[in-house]
Amino acid sequence: MITKAQKKSQIKVITGNAAAAIAAKLARPDVVAAYPITPQTEVIEQISQFHANGEMDCELITVEGENSAMNAVMAASLAGGRVFTATSSWGLVFMYDAILAAAGARAPIVMVNVNRETPGIIAVSSGQQDMISTRDAGWIFLIAEDCQEVMDLVLQAYRLAEDYDIQVPVMVHYDGFYLSYLSEGVDVPFQEDVDRFLSVLKTQPERTKLVPGGRLGCGSHGILGGYLELRHKHVSAMERAKAKFEQIDKEYEGIFGRSYGGLVEEYRMDDADVVLVGSGSMCGTIKSVIDEKREEGVKAGLLKMRMYRPFPSEAMIKALKGKKAIGVVDRSLCFGFKGGPIYTELKAFETQLGGSKMISFIDGIANTDITKINVANMIDTTCDLAAGKTVREVTWVSYPEAQKEGGL
Amino acid sequence: MTQKKKDNLTKVMDYLKYEDPFSKGVAFCPGCGLELLLRFIPQVMGNDIVITGTPSCSAPVLLGQNNQSWHKLSYFGTLMTGAAANATGLARYYRKAGIKNTVVCFNGDGTAADIGFGNLSGAAERNEPFIYICYDNEGYMNTGIQKSGTTPFGATTTTTPFGSASKGKNLRRMNLALKMAMHKIPYAATATLSDLDDLAKKLLKAKEAKKRGFAFLHVFAPCTTGWGFAPENTIEICRRAVKTNYFPLWEAENGKIRMTKTVKKPKPVSTYTELIKKFAHLSEEDLQILQDDVDYEYCMLGGLSLLEGECRLPASLED
Repeated sequence: MITKAQKKSQIKVITGNAAAAIAAKLARPDVVAAYPITPQTEVIEQISQFHANGEMDCELITVEGENSAMNAVMAASLAGGRVFTATSSWGLVFMYDAILAAAGARAPIVMVNVNRETPGIIAVSSGQQDMISTRDAGWIFLIAEDCQEVMDLVLQAYRLAEDYDIQVPVMVHYDGFYLSYLSEGVDVPFQEDVDRFLSVLKTQPERTKLVPGGRLGCGSHGILGGYLELRHKHVSAMERAKAKFEQIDKEYEGIFGRSYGGLVEEYRMDDADVVLVGSGSMCGTIKSVIDEKREEGVKAGLLKMRMYRPFPSEAMIKALKGKKAIGVVDRSLCFGFKGGPIYTELKAFETQLGGSKMISFIDGIANTDITKINVANMIDTTCDLAAGKTVREVTWVSYPEAQKEGGL
Repeated sequence: MTQKKKDNLTKVMDYLKYEDPFSKGVAFCPGCGLELLLRFIPQVMGNDIVITGTPSCSAPVLLGQNNQSWHKLSYFGTLMTGAAANATGLARYYRKAGIKNTVVCFNGDGTAADIGFGNLSGAAERNEPFIYICYDNEGYMNTGIQKSGTTPFGATTTTTPFGSASKGKNLRRMNLALKMAMHKIPYAATATLSDLDDLAKKLLKAKEAKKRGFAFLHVFAPCTTGWGFAPENTIEICRRAVKTNYFPLWEAENGKIRMTKTVKKPKPVSTYTELIKKFAHLSEEDLQILQDDVDYEYCMLGGLSLLEGECRLPASLED
């Protein structure tokens, strides 16, 4: 991340949730509908307070469940409104049918999902399993590393979702507990700058809107030919979102002085031999450990995924090509596969990586901290792989018993 | 036609102030109660409504499954799970944007009483500014005649078949309209197709009430295919449902119930069921159970309307 001296912003010490709420306020949505769930609740509490104070001029719908939150913002969005909602975990999967419908209807919704586990044992703990459970819904997924990036990604998400060439809903993910309740310094932009950043959307053609008497419908029964056309257009829009997001990141830097490199952030990658691929809050820890390992002469680097859907394969191949060994760190599981989801997906591009070897690390499930020791172990194992030693394909970093149990 | 009937018809026609936005031939079954209702609503309320609907009997026409026979209304085809929440989103955005609107959330009993009841109740609790109309054909008729929460005692459906261990549906139907009135919304009412002037008045009242918040209409709409009766009997069945108190006509403003049609000498419920095949297997004893249930519901309605006169909702909390 590059940060220049700011003249037009204010530093506040706030949580990731507060950053999301303030970003939503700055985007001036017409309709906000939300339902509380740990660890997202603070987002809608803050928005409710902004609304109660008269600082936020939106229709606030305090729905009776997440499914209604998504249905309400979907309809408001298709009617022409700018919308916001936030959820987590069970809330996300409770809105699953509406998530699919919203994507299919190309409703440019911006939603924050505060990552939390979704197992049968009601784990109130962090993990990206909720994100993985909705990855094929047809939404654009962005992942934040820290509270500042939560703020920045929500604002960037509006430009991406509502762009005339895209019109795909965007979900901004950040780690529950680790970021939702973490207070840190956040550069909060001023309203006029956000207005300027988002005003580009007003110069674009108006999107189709559902208005009374407009003799226009949405959500029709799909006829075979029309259905294929719409699905293909959706897939194409997802592909276009990659270049568009790079461009938005650059424009954001122009106004706010912060750039993250677009789809992926490369940390000490130029001369790296071994690379960890990560996403979200773990990346800060990984960067610290890389700095320490560099002191020891280990040429390690980090490739941080900022965008997860569409899968930024081109950017990842470009960054990873020719590296000796790659360790992919997943905070979720991909049932039916041994390795984590991101690892499994990256494997599809293995032949394009110029002989790089790959292994999977599973860690950070259900609040098992991805500690500096864990990261150091991952880097060591990846170095062993680079050196031609035999290592396990999949390592459950915080669960050494997995090795004894066999199977993996 | 008697002079009285002619006068009544003129009275109904006076309410039809707007064009019928549906094409003349549409893909509903002959004798479909829903079709009459669907054509009636925009002719009374205006063609500038936004109608939302879900996969259901109304979907083939409303949502354009049969794309050669459609309508000219703005519409939103949505999910059964979140029908009322969708309408909420539309109505709230229009309000925010200053767009004059009448959002009509038009659903069958499956959405209203079963899978979408949670968000219907939520929208009523929040007093959302739109009109929810449930056309009640007492089951999932489009899916192939399955039981819903409003399927009455004794009715056969494909999931409550008659057999040696079953009378059809062995449970009573829920009173959806009464549940909605208990939310103390600005307007809740029942209506049916044999009493079109009553229906028209209630549609206009709902449109007026919508300015103050949530309006709910429960319209009894018999299904010739699913229930097994001759297509020409649709209106007669509606009439008998009213005359037996099987489906009483009433309205409630802020929960205060008032009968809009009182039947002086209610006929036995068997005069209603005799026209319908789904009740054909019921014995006299079974019919008595249905009769008792009808009497109970009617008695309860009367009792509640008296109680509502006694207990006052704080005026500041009305609407």
